[in-house]
Amino acid sequence: MTQNQFHFEKLYREYKTVVFNVALNYLQNIEDAEEITQDVFVKVYNSLESFNGKSSHKTWIYRITINQCLDCIKQKNSQKRFFIFGKKSQNENEYLNTATFEHPGILMENKEDAAILFEVINTLTENQKTAFLLSKLDGLSNPEISDIMQLSISSVESLIFRAKVSLQDKLSQRFNNHRKKK
Amino acid sequence: MERNNWIETILNSTNGLTPVVPSDNLFSKIQAQIKNKNKVSEKIIWLVAASVAVLVVLNCSVLSSKTKKNKTSTTTYFENELNKSNQLYQ
Repeated sequence: MTQNQFHFEKLYREYKTVVFNVALNYLQNIEDAEEITQDVFVKVYNSLESFNGKSSHKTWIYRITINQCLDCIKQKNSQKRFFIFGKKSQNENEYLNTATFEHPGILMENKEDAAILFEVINTLTENQKTAFLLSKLDGLSNPEISDIMQLSISSVESLIFRAKVSLQDKLSQRFNNHRKKK
Repeated sequence: MERNNWIETILNSTNGLTPVVPSDNLFSKIQAQIKNKNKVSEKIIWLVAASVAVLVVLNCSVLSSKTKKNKTSTTTYFENELNKSNQLYQ
């Protein structure tokens, strides 16, 4: 086994769960999360020799994963058409909100509520969604998130704050619909 | 109050989230994808090399036929000039 292969396998063992769960949080679908995980580690393998060590492996792998997730969402949305001559959907997250919600990490009794939460999270801007997910679900600190997103710590704090405010507003609107159904 | 409680419940629905371990066969799928990508890139290299070779051959043959035409036209010019006066020296 070459040193490169040994190093790659070590990275895979260390980060496979992190990558898979970041992808799952973004896409809420096991099949898509597996596909993203594969693509991420193929990129890691191909880029390992040129990795310059300016950031840690963890930061580097997180960045690749987030970019893959965002690209996947854009790609799937651009493929989605409701009829042949239809316009491309204006909602970037159309694909996410019409695909089946699937997140095995959520407690069974919370699945319905979590599906609503993720629906609303999917309407946040890319940066707000990233910062919120990394903070709330991955439990990363603001300095870690700022390294990954290559933003200042104050920008990250601002993104998380605006994400929370936006979620509160959108959930408040959803509550009215929720009440009407009852 | 009911609204706030509901919002709070939704926001806390990810509490107790447990990390999901990907399936064991994922690594072998990754290895297979890496091998396939290497094969595909070799094909591309051969394709590019073949295209370059074809271009070089085409350019050489065009240049060579142009050179022949030039030689032919120079020879024709001298023949015409000689034929006018039938004299080599004037």
